[in-house]
Amino acid sequence: MSTEVQTPEQDSPPAEELDATSRFRRSLSLLGSLQGYIGLVLIIMIGIITKGQTFWNQENLTNAIGGYAAPGILAVGETLVILTAGIDLSVGSMLGLGSMVSAMLLVRHGMSPIEILPISMAVGALCGFCNGIGTAWLRIQSFVVTLAMLNVIRGVDRQLSDNVSVGTQIVQSNGSLTANSKAFQAYGTPGHKLFSGVNFPIFGKGIYYPVLALIVVVIVFQLLLSKSKLGRHIYAVGGNPTAARLSGINVMAVTITVFTLCGLLAGFAGPIDAAYNASADPLAGTSYELDAIAAVVIGGASLSGGRGTVVGTFVGVLILTFLDNVLGLNSVSDNAQLIIKGLIVIAAVVIQRPDFFRSIVSALRRISIPTRARQSTSTPEES
Amino acid sequence: MKPHRVLVAGTITAVALLAAACASTAPSKKSTNDNGDKVFTIGYSQSNNAEPYRAQLNKQLQFFVKKYKNLKLLSITDAHQSSATQVSQVQNFIQQNVDVLIVSPNEPDPLTAPVEAACAKKIPVIILDRSVNTDCYSSFIGGDNVAAGKKAGELAVQALPDGGNVVELQGILSDQPQIDRDKGFREAIAANPKIKIIQHREAKWLKPNATTIMQQWLQQGQKIDLVYGENDPMALGAYLAAAAVHKEKEIKFIGTDGLAIPDGGIRAVQQGQLAGTFVYPTCAQEAADTAEALVTGKQVEHKQTLDITPVTPQNAAELYTKYSSEASG
Amino acid sequence: MSRPIALQMRDISKSFPGVQALDGVSLVVHEGEVAAVLGENGAGKSTLMNVLAGVFPQYDGQIELRGEPVTIHSPKQAAAQGVGMIHQELNLVPDMSVADNIFLGQESRNRRGAIDRKSMHRRARELLARVGLPLDPRRLVRQCRIAEQQLIEVAKALSLDVRVLVMDEPTSALADAEVQRLFTVIRDLTRHGVAVVYISHRLEELEQIADSVTVLRDGRYIGRRDMTGTTRDELISMMVGRPLRELFPRTDSGATPQERIIVQELDLVGDRRAGRSALHGVHFTAHGGEIVGIAGLMGSGRSEVLQSIYGGYAHRDVHARILLNGKVYRPRSPHYAITRGLALVAEDRKGQSLVLDNTIAFNASLAALPELTRFGIVRRRLLRAAVRESTAELRVKAPTIDTTVRNLSGGNQQKVVLAKCLMTTPSVVLLDEPTRGIDVGAKAEVHELMNQLAANGSALIVVSSELPELLAMCDRILVLCEGRVTGEFSRADATQERILDAAMARNGGAETE
Repeated sequence: MSTEVQTPEQDSPPAEELDATSRFRRSLSLLGSLQGYIGLVLIIMIGIITKGQTFWNQENLTNAIGGYAAPGILAVGETLVILTAGIDLSVGSMLGLGSMVSAMLLVRHGMSPIEILPISMAVGALCGFCNGIGTAWLRIQSFVVTLAMLNVIRGVDRQLSDNVSVGTQIVQSNGSLTANSKAFQAYGTPGHKLFSGVNFPIFGKGIYYPVLALIVVVIVFQLLLSKSKLGRHIYAVGGNPTAARLSGINVMAVTITVFTLCGLLAGFAGPIDAAYNASADPLAGTSYELDAIAAVVIGGASLSGGRGTVVGTFVGVLILTFLDNVLGLNSVSDNAQLIIKGLIVIAAVVIQRPDFFRSIVSALRRISIPTRARQSTSTPEES
Repeated sequence: MKPHRVLVAGTITAVALLAAACASTAPSKKSTNDNGDKVFTIGYSQSNNAEPYRAQLNKQLQFFVKKYKNLKLLSITDAHQSSATQVSQVQNFIQQNVDVLIVSPNEPDPLTAPVEAACAKKIPVIILDRSVNTDCYSSFIGGDNVAAGKKAGELAVQALPDGGNVVELQGILSDQPQIDRDKGFREAIAANPKIKIIQHREAKWLKPNATTIMQQWLQQGQKIDLVYGENDPMALGAYLAAAAVHKEKEIKFIGTDGLAIPDGGIRAVQQGQLAGTFVYPTCAQEAADTAEALVTGKQVEHKQTLDITPVTPQNAAELYTKYSSEASG
Repeated sequence: MSRPIALQMRDISKSFPGVQALDGVSLVVHEGEVAAVLGENGAGKSTLMNVLAGVFPQYDGQIELRGEPVTIHSPKQAAAQGVGMIHQELNLVPDMSVADNIFLGQESRNRRGAIDRKSMHRRARELLARVGLPLDPRRLVRQCRIAEQQLIEVAKALSLDVRVLVMDEPTSALADAEVQRLFTVIRDLTRHGVAVVYISHRLEELEQIADSVTVLRDGRYIGRRDMTGTTRDELISMMVGRPLRELFPRTDSGATPQERIIVQELDLVGDRRAGRSALHGVHFTAHGGEIVGIAGLMGSGRSEVLQSIYGGYAHRDVHARILLNGKVYRPRSPHYAITRGLALVAEDRKGQSLVLDNTIAFNASLAALPELTRFGIVRRRLLRAAVRESTAELRVKAPTIDTTVRNLSGGNQQKVVLAKCLMTTPSVVLLDEPTRGIDVGAKAEVHELMNQLAANGSALIVVSSELPELLAMCDRILVLCEGRVTGEFSRADATQERILDAAMARNGGAETE
């Protein structure tokens, strides 16, 4: 037992400032981090400056965001897991399995798209549930469990498909697509939009399903986190699991729930991937988990849990999307793109440290003022 | 205590060694088939089962080997693209004293030593598709990726008699097949200086990457007349992007691989999405034939380069039937 | 003692921000002497020993070994001077062998630079023989019993060729027979001229093994006595000595006859690795309107009593027969405890009670969420109103309820914890060191709050290491020693001496009511 040492202070007000900047910052922090928004605006500006209308037009925005929708949805699920201080490395494999299951249900069982989606989600949820059980009940570190599941699920995927891709555009003898095939394209085959009569802000006539799906997922899960009891439980478990437990929260249940939800979202994104490619590849989704985690981290969440929002992740997703797009439109070489992307992730994390500006100032000060003898600051131990 | 422990340890070690010795003689140089004729074993080390082309190869090889009653194909090993894994898998086959060793090397350098070891043990070796840095093997059977690229280029020249803008979607830049196909393609299109490659990017053999890249190229507004994909998925990904903006009729798409699966290149040519593709031979039949020749003491060619079969709208249907029936092993 | 002085610590002072841990403390130990150091929780014993062990680079005062002043400002220097320390929490690596542990950091190497296992094992065997442990040095520490591990630590200290050996509560985990074995080893050491500093609360043991006793209190040196000729009472009064200051506003108890909680029997399986003490047959009753205190030394099981009742431990480790508000209550989980009307203010507010990076509103409402949500959605306005009300009542000083808890002072943080507990409207409140580390003003406020809660009919059970606080605030005080109830005093009968006496009485309760 150690005595906690506190300078006996009386009614001194706590360290937080009351001015307008911090109030603004605090309300923003509910919606992601300030630095994230700055970064996003920066990239958009670079895009507009270098490519003008080629970048900032409905079609390009739709294509860019739509192409990143599947990893984006995975990132939302990943956010939930990371908030509880866990990590899910199997999201890419779950997406691949969902994609393959969707394609097979379409092609081999003639199911309609409406029937396919819930099944794909159920498959994903089941995988996520296994991750949750492994982490919370068997008490294996989530890194290890989901790494193993990454392989297991991929193996199942490849076994199911016998290592060949499955196309979703079934052409009949008269040359046209089957009804289900045609309908399935709505899930995201390029050029197929929903509600083509309606005019949408930013995106123009009709809305591309992957974009819609991403936005809906972001809204739903942001609301879940900020307004529901489960959301608070998630933040508590990530922020201090002991305090959560002693406050009456069932930590195991919360953990299993977030992993299941993450899997559910991966399954939800399955048909999107299959439709975008008009086929399901047994290796679909490989390495998507890295993009998902990068987006979450860029969005300001802490890998040690308890901090972050879905909207922040969405900003992270958009940053990665536009980065890819702007570099691509500017024909930057592939190797350079790799390097730039990696550096941006690191920069994003460093900049988002809460004490970033303060530490820069103090570092500068330390360089200019010579060091004085420092007082011992260790705390005493009770005997 | 101590003497007892030594005794126990010694017994266990002896038993283990005995078991290992028995086990290692189990794979059969000496086994026979139902007729009492001698059966020869074939060990095949595959570099990566995940590639659809190789998955096809495996299936076809099993199919063709079955046709020979005196050949037995052991379980095909998968190195998951790791050269280190493949080295130990090849060594395993050597230990098992297979009658014929077939290897599709992941990379030339690491696999050279194990192949030489097999040769030293007088095991006949067949190298499929990718090379190693030694000559001791009995036969190299492969397609010619440079030829594949060349034929694609020739098709492009044919398709663009008045010249035009070409965009190229490349596989992983460091992969040898990519290097070869790119080389061959550029050589062939040099025949018409009015054909220009205005853009080329690495899509890593993946369809979704190609879709995104093609979308960006279309955004940039330059006129595109032809898309060359170093494999079919990339060409088809570009097709999807073009179809989204109804430009698929104005652009020609050329792929490579020509797999006879519903989602493959031959079907795509049949359906008019690809102007043409090229069947990169799996060499399975030739491998089986060569193995048979080796065990029956016949002469084999040191290097067998197989033809690249062009797939055209005219022969697509026929080729599909041909290859898909072979594939169903 | 005619033997030369081995260790002399003169006028040692050590301060930390806000607290003077040691103030001019002296200690004298002769060669071959076992000098006991005695004092209450927080008297400064550990700090003094840490100074000697080189834990602090800065302190005032002088250390002399064998009459020569020495500089000890790092553990390495301490080791070089022949000072060895055996901590209460053993510093062994469970997955390494005994020999590896003994020579950790000073492995002998052979000519080629590899670790010379053979000579290590040989030396290990010699050292183990000296402490009377016939173990195979290749055995993993994990496979050794606690008593053996303790002796391995002694062997480790011997490998460093110590002149002064400090032992901090060495017998806390040992059975009587093992204690005797340890004493044999200690006597052997002293025969060879080693000076032993022995920290322990177990007066009966000190009577057996110690030659002298030095008493500390509140960071000050009180006095040194020879063991022979000193009585237990004398020692206790030296330890306690201070006058009682009546700053705690405890109003007279309006204890209702209503029995809120009756603990008839409480057993808990200990877990050494987790630092959890075992409990044996703990029993007490708390009525509505009563404040019952639990006193005892560190490791006596006080926090464990609260956590067991609250459901903080796994089912199979807790055996309890408890009646809560007249109904049978079996501790199941914190969630269940809350639904049954219990609340816990845990010992370590930062580690156990607060999500530091989140707001006051978040933390204060965390336990009461079930009442503040409907169909799974949080009723925001209701929640914020409840939090505002609660924090106003507790006089939490912060700009808004959206202030991050990390930025609050200790006192205000504790109030947020209290707010959290009280929002669930408990009938029994369990408080573990509720005023630790908070300033005097907040302390008084917490005490007042406790009075109010009792006045409203709740029963409070308070664990505290500050005897004056317990004496002033509680209607009854329960004393634990090594997991057993060894005393129970009403407010009128309780004195610091009696409590301390019961806290050190290892063989069952002397005074019960």
